[in-house]
Amino acid sequence: MASVAHETRASVGRLMGWRSPNAFAVGALLIAAAALPLIWRNDYVIDVALTALIWMVLNQSWNLQLGIGGIWNFGQLAIFAIGGYVAGLVSLRWGIDPWLALVMGGSASALVSAVIAIPVLRLRGIYASLLTFSFAEVVRLLVISDESGLTGGSFGLSGIPGLAFEGLAPDAKQRAYYWIALGLVVVTAVFIYVFIHSPLGTALKALRDSPAYAASRGVSPMKMQVITFATSAFIAGVAGAFYAQYYGTISPSVMGLGPLSLFVAMLVVGGLGTFWGPMLGTALIMVVSEALRDLEEARLIVVGLILLLTIVLAPRGLVPLLQQGWARLQLWMAEDSVPEDGPGEDVPEDQPAPQQEGSR
Amino acid sequence: MRSFFQAVVSGLVTGSLYALMTVGMTLIYGTLRTLNMALGAMVLVGGYVSWMLFSGLGWGPLAGLAGAAAVTFAFGVVIQQVAVRPLIGKTGVDFEMTAFISTFAVAIVFANVALEIYGARNKAVPPVVEGRLHLIEGVSVSWHQVVMAGVAIVMLVALGIFLSKTRYGLGISAVAQQLDAARLMGIPVQRVYNLTMGVSSALAGIAGVLLASVFFVSPNAGDLPLLKALIVAIFGGLGSVRGTIVAAYIIGLLEAMISLYFGVKWSLPVLFVVIMIVLLIRPTGLFGKPEEARL
Repeated sequence: MASVAHETRASVGRLMGWRSPNAFAVGALLIAAAALPLIWRNDYVIDVALTALIWMVLNQSWNLQLGIGGIWNFGQLAIFAIGGYVAGLVSLRWGIDPWLALVMGGSASALVSAVIAIPVLRLRGIYASLLTFSFAEVVRLLVISDESGLTGGSFGLSGIPGLAFEGLAPDAKQRAYYWIALGLVVVTAVFIYVFIHSPLGTALKALRDSPAYAASRGVSPMKMQVITFATSAFIAGVAGAFYAQYYGTISPSVMGLGPLSLFVAMLVVGGLGTFWGPMLGTALIMVVSEALRDLEEARLIVVGLILLLTIVLAPRGLVPLLQQGWARLQLWMAEDSVPEDGPGEDVPEDQPAPQQEGSR
Repeated sequence: MRSFFQAVVSGLVTGSLYALMTVGMTLIYGTLRTLNMALGAMVLVGGYVSWMLFSGLGWGPLAGLAGAAAVTFAFGVVIQQVAVRPLIGKTGVDFEMTAFISTFAVAIVFANVALEIYGARNKAVPPVVEGRLHLIEGVSVSWHQVVMAGVAIVMLVALGIFLSKTRYGLGISAVAQQLDAARLMGIPVQRVYNLTMGVSSALAGIAGVLLASVFFVSPNAGDLPLLKALIVAIFGGLGSVRGTIVAAYIIGLLEAMISLYFGVKWSLPVLFVVIMIVLLIRPTGLFGKPEEARL
């Protein structure tokens, strides 16, 4: 039974054009990422890489709604911040173990998001973005204007206890955080990969592409939306809690238009709705933003221009573009080897391919 | 009772300004199916233009109004050509989503260019007219606010006449109602798009000039007006110009009342709750129409 089911899954996968990821490449990438703090022993570099990993988790969770679900949620940063604030507050006020606080932060975010999901469900695209965006702004303004001392107002919460690495030397501690962040990225990626290739993910994509048809085939929009919002928010909340614990502080400055533009740029440049897009985009924008560190605030101009160029020239992002390029390259190599008897080693290297000529 | 009347007056004034901002949003959404996030940036540009005319040349705010309208009109057309036009008709992507993101990118660029050129410090612009107008005992309104409301109302009326009486205005309405039919009737759709973006941006720019002397001009001066315009847009529904104007006044009055009875701090959260409730009952806003019928 199980093997039959597995075979059908595999054949369905082939039919739908799902690529199975190249195990060798993924493994090499993972090993390289894991070895980074051991090879490049620079506090600052590791810190940036760690931040990038946290953003990757957040962006992956966001992509689940925005790209794969096609739900215009622009309030994910507030959900991220709620995770951080709740984790910080429960461990500051009640002395709850940081690991448990991580889960509690995620759960609180999931709860808030599931509640938001219900009014959003009734809205068409643009109205959903308006509602979620203004939700995020209201959360931000509420925190900033909070004078009760609960959230610390615009200065934020500080002194949030970190995960239990107090005995370690500072650089070892940072490495431990780095590997946990990497673990979070991997777990999130595996979860999202499984999710989008499961019947649930297929239902979600069907709802995105043709809501009426999907609903008529028995996909419940309500159930799917609440599930998507809650799971995506749980991931974002855990990322927020981890952020708060690593830096020991969380403030309203993680929300707002500035950060939002950075994250939207990451998602769009990588490719909305693709599996690798959020990760590639995060890495690219982080590298660009670090390369332009001397420009300080002006780097957002560059990020904005990159976002504008990407959306105008390649609205689906870089990952589909690269995949297309790769597929075309393979097709081109296959074409060349067919008329020849042997593999295409007789082809002179400097002879331009006809496609290249045509595309200019 | 006096404070109640005072709140009503200030609600009407802010309502007029919200109407000015959001009508542009409705127009663009009606014709182009684009939620223009760059309108906040146009408020910003309007404010800076009037500040530059004032501090550089010593010209008063009335020159600022004309200058800002001209500059933001041009910017609107440029944004249409650079950020929106290339996306029209692209297959495989959702146009509403990509246009939303591209105008958002434009807004980021504008805000940060302003930060780079003018710095983060607030710039002060003097009001159009000094002094206060006493309506009844204990209820007064500054002349500047009267001018604000007056300019906004005049602009809205002019817009109404433009849309219903002139060739180009009718073209905008036609494109909003039925794109294909409008095209078949020989309406130059690209020109209508440019015009819509230009007019809407100019309205936002004028709102920026009017706001500049109440608040200050700073690189994030466009954020709050944009947020308010979004709230009005959801509340009224992006359906009709008239509905948007009514919604703007309702939101303005509501905000004034909340500030009066609960405190300024609560105005946004309470508004948000109100909007949640409205959306739960009417998913396309108070006056919004379903997909088929618009404007």
